Amino acid sequence: MTTNSKTINTGVGLRLPHLVEVVATRPPVGWLEIHPENFMANPHAMELLVELSRHYPISIHTVGISVGSADGIDRTHLKRLRALVDQIQPFLISGHLAWSTYRNEYLNDLLPLPYCPETVRLIASHIREVEDALGQHYLIENPASYVGFQSSTMKEPEFLSELVDQTGCRLLCDVSNVIVSAHNMGYDAYEYMRRLPADAVGQLHLGGFTPEPDFADSGSDMWIDTHAAAIAEASWDLYAFALQRFGPKPTLIEWDSEIPDLGTLAGEAFKADRIFQRTLSMMSREAPCASAP
Amino acid sequence: MPALHDIQALIRRSVVTGDLTGVTGLLDVRTERRIAVHRRNYQSSLVDALLSKFPAVAWLAGMKFVATAAEEFIEECPPQKPCIAEYGETFPGFLSRRPGAGRIPYLETFAELEWDVGHVTIAIPEPHITIEDIASIKPGMLPELRLGLQHGVKYLLSGWPIEELMKLYVTDCAPDRLEFDPCDVFLEVRGSHGSFQILRLQKAEFRFRESLAKGMRIGDAVEQAMDIDPSFDGGASFVRLITEDLVTCVTPSSEQGDIL
Repeated sequence: MTTNSKTINTGVGLRLPHLVEVVATRPPVGWLEIHPENFMANPHAMELLVELSRHYPISIHTVGISVGSADGIDRTHLKRLRALVDQIQPFLISGHLAWSTYRNEYLNDLLPLPYCPETVRLIASHIREVEDALGQHYLIENPASYVGFQSSTMKEPEFLSELVDQTGCRLLCDVSNVIVSAHNMGYDAYEYMRRLPADAVGQLHLGGFTPEPDFADSGSDMWIDTHAAAIAEASWDLYAFALQRFGPKPTLIEWDSEIPDLGTLAGEAFKADRIFQRTLSMMSREAPCASAP
Repeated sequence: MPALHDIQALIRRSVVTGDLTGVTGLLDVRTERRIAVHRRNYQSSLVDALLSKFPAVAWLAGMKFVATAAEEFIEECPPQKPCIAEYGETFPGFLSRRPGAGRIPYLETFAELEWDVGHVTIAIPEPHITIEDIASIKPGMLPELRLGLQHGVKYLLSGWPIEELMKLYVTDCAPDRLEFDPCDVFLEVRGSHGSFQILRLQKAEFRFRESLAKGMRIGDAVEQAMDIDPSFDGGASFVRLITEDLVTCVTPSSEQGDIL
């Protein structure tokens, strides 16, 4: 880890086990991302986050806004989120192409959706509601997929493109999710990237995954989006491609389970930043680039 | 093609209960068995969350017992809010109704104590009312008023001296043998910024403070305390609350804005 410079483009996920240390040491990373649900019910953590927001740009990545739920959006939660947004003034807010609420239950996982025009319409209306409530764009993240639906009539990039067309929303491209889903669902990760609407992509994510025996096929493996490991080489390679395809975008290192020391996390951020800088130099010969937060 | 709500009902059932009836017909045959990944995510994340909130209970009752109860709890009582920090308040009662829980008659209140400790530890002190502030209120008005107390204070009644057990857990010095007899204890749990303390109160003082915390008018809270101890000095107890920085606001008995 380089300690006398700061990553320009790359941020890290701020998780509660690191919170006090981050406040005390101010690691040299470009920005911080939080899961707001971990802070809303924790006034002490919230107090420290407000302190950090004076020193770092903050990105909010929700896990509780269930845009894919047929039961609609939890408006109480949305109001709490708006209060946090007003306090922290994030430079980005994002969430998942998934659902997690059913009636009054919150199922604490990112559950899959059938990709068809009906689902597009439902999610588009929910994205509009979320953006109206929060007063800014809401970026939608491609999921890590394990199952497909018989009723799906669209591929995921087409589905996301249609959402962008209908709502004007922006996308968060989780590069590692593309790698995981491509492996599990049997498609080409690079082709997936080529089919995403490049102009809509506003942020990139990188996280570790864990291979394990496939429940569906005893002879092969499936990859699980655990965020419990270092970023795989395949993800780094696809990340370089994503920067070329989408241009330089703020990039996040996610590590949510078996969380390492802060130095290891920052080391991954520096690696991402080196790839970013290299790609930036290559692209600067061709066109001006977007700025990091 | 089933409606999205029906699809989600079936997936919800498979995730929460493991019942795959209906789900397999929805999913691609090649991938359908992988729906178990989502059930595992649901189970492991919530069981871990509960175990992280009740480590002292696991120390007391055994990790296996508590983990099994947690697995049953998440199936019967899924979270209702996306903030998982708020999940588990009813786990103490659920735990005490599990087969085998009867061997520890104080398990429920011990678990409630641990829940309260977790709650107050993450609190931050709010601005408090001072004696000088109170001086601006006419004395005759006081019985009709209600007090707001700090979020980092909780009241708990137990038929066992459970705070002694908590002290043993926190200090990691459990003796080989412990004499532990039932007796009523009236506990005030206070905390903020990552630390906490547990205080034993007199029964009347406890009832006074607990009644105020529940939103009762000051005059009614004093009466509650005097029912227990006719010599209870409401004025002195009120002043102690103020000087201990526990009062954050004073409100009229009707639903109007704060007086202080």
